[in-house]
Amino acid sequence: MKSALRLLLVLGLGFLLAACSRSSSNPDQKKITVALMPKSKGNAYFISCKKGAEDAAQETGVELLFDGPTDPDPARQNEIIENWTTVGVDVIAVACENREGIATALRKARQKGIKVLTYDSDTTAEARDFFVNQATPEGIGHALMDEAARLTGEEGEFAIITASLTAANMNAWRKHIEQRLAEKYPRMKLVATKPCDDLKDKAQTESTALLSAHPNLKLLMSICSPGVPGAAEAVKQAGKGGQIKVMGLGLPNENRAYIKQGVTQSIILWKTLDLGYLTLHAAAALGRGSLQPNAKSYSAGRLGEITIEGDNLLLGKPFVFNSENIDLFDF
Amino acid sequence: MSTAFHHRLARIRALVFRHESLLLLILLAEWITFSFLGRRFATWENAADILRHSAEIGLLAVALTPVILTGGIDLSAGSLLGLCAVIFGKLWRDAGFPPTLAAVTAVAAGAVGGLLNGSLVTRLKLPPLIVTLGTFSLFRGIAEALTRGTDTFTNFPNTFLFLGQERLLGLPTQAWIFFLLAGTAWLLIHRTTAGRNCCSAGFNPEGAVYAGLPLSKIQTLAYVGVGTVAGIAAVIYTARLGQARADAGSGYELLAITAVVLGGTSIFGGTGTIHGTLLGVAALAVLNNGLVHARQPRETAGILTGVLLLTALTLTTLAYFRSSRKPSRTQPSP
Repeated sequence: MKSALRLLLVLGLGFLLAACSRSSSNPDQKKITVALMPKSKGNAYFISCKKGAEDAAQETGVELLFDGPTDPDPARQNEIIENWTTVGVDVIAVACENREGIATALRKARQKGIKVLTYDSDTTAEARDFFVNQATPEGIGHALMDEAARLTGEEGEFAIITASLTAANMNAWRKHIEQRLAEKYPRMKLVATKPCDDLKDKAQTESTALLSAHPNLKLLMSICSPGVPGAAEAVKQAGKGGQIKVMGLGLPNENRAYIKQGVTQSIILWKTLDLGYLTLHAAAALGRGSLQPNAKSYSAGRLGEITIEGDNLLLGKPFVFNSENIDLFDF
Repeated sequence: MSTAFHHRLARIRALVFRHESLLLLILLAEWITFSFLGRRFATWENAADILRHSAEIGLLAVALTPVILTGGIDLSAGSLLGLCAVIFGKLWRDAGFPPTLAAVTAVAAGAVGGLLNGSLVTRLKLPPLIVTLGTFSLFRGIAEALTRGTDTFTNFPNTFLFLGQERLLGLPTQAWIFFLLAGTAWLLIHRTTAGRNCCSAGFNPEGAVYAGLPLSKIQTLAYVGVGTVAGIAAVIYTARLGQARADAGSGYELLAITAVVLGGTSIFGGTGTIHGTLLGVAALAVLNNGLVHARQPRETAGILTGVLLLTALTLTTLAYFRSSRKPSRTQPSP
């Protein structure tokens, strides 16, 4: 009996203390908390975004909470957002694994007065305040075509490897590549566009076929990330490393070896560090009320002036990674 | 000191050292700790969050308890949830079923899936682990094939989403379904002959058969129960997320089994309770939720879940060893 009483006493005391600690917490201490969520935590792409976000958090003096599912799991993303809503963070910034699935949770957060930002992949427009858009189709298309022209001296045949002929985003990029080609580079010729199903193996097979079918080919451009190392492997095995240029959209780590060997010349992507930096910088401004819905531009610390198109913050031109700068990046 | 005092002490100890009491203490400790660490943890709103997030795993855990009591296991529950969610989505969007009819059909499909498990286990006498490992892949595979891995069902009407996202009489809507089913399961297991037979079947299968218990029937019913509940959980999951996809409920079976075992049900069958399972579900759900409030990263949840499970089982086992030297009313350990 005695021990039971003692237990009750301890528990009661615990509750009392808990209650006290709640009432004594200072409500007017206005330190903003920004909760940042990746699609999945282990992904090097998002780890690198987080590094940029940490820099911005320090510069703007906000508290950064970084959490998300360990695998890309839409249900867990929703649960964590709902928890953050109850915890009462000031701003939520999320890379959405699922466009519609996450919208309800984000809408509820906004009803509670929490500001919502998406980055990398968007949700439905009414579920968030702004989307930090890492690259427009036009920006990607132009960057790829300009870099291809630079590598070939604006002259000769080239071929494109894509993931599939139906993928909406890649078709948008191709449209802009072809427009840019027609406008600016009359002496270049696109001889083939081949799908590789987002597989490195298939990209390699297709590239080998392209090499024998088009002996005058000067460059292979892959607009899906597995395609770049696939094309590089084909060129390397054909013993044409350096003669036939390889470039495309891809991650530095997947292409590092080929770039060092001189098989792949350059890859194009946005700086994930900057994506994280801009996301958190804008989140802090949104939370403090200095970034308003109808703003036309935004001054984002070390990134300078950022254009806002509608409710999209544009990160700017994609970045070209090559043998000179690739060692500065790890993702 | 008097012997009467000693007797009293022994009785208190027996009560305190019961697995469920230990779990209750763990739950209280979690609650107090997180109340300190998270400003909004101990609020009604957060309690509603916890209930909302644990309904599906809670349902699966409650349904799995009888299966494990009979000495079986069901690894396919999470996959079946995914399949039922896809069936529900397809019937609603492609076949034009109203949500209620689609839901009923999805639950029926779940029951059929459970019946398949049950029949293979009881008719062919295949080990439950192997059977449900097979259907674990099979059900998820069918779900992926039906959607080609990419199709997502969304834009459900608000009347349907009410089930997963809104409140009814102060509680999350799905919590009422959870409580109703948990209550039913408790009555079935602890207050009916069928329930007692479940335990006997697990405790001593051969003895149960010699005693004339309909062992096969009990086992089959238990698997059908899991299947049916997986169907119900699928509908709730879809309503909560506003989407159905082939990956729904991945890994839920292990979380549910963890809750059941944490709740004191022996993995070999024979002993265990529904209220123990509910405490197990609560201990895990509070831990997962509280860590977000304490601003701890998700990885911590995995570590602490493991520590929690092993600690709880070790303490109960130690208490059992101690008390088994002296006659006492302590329950056998899981």
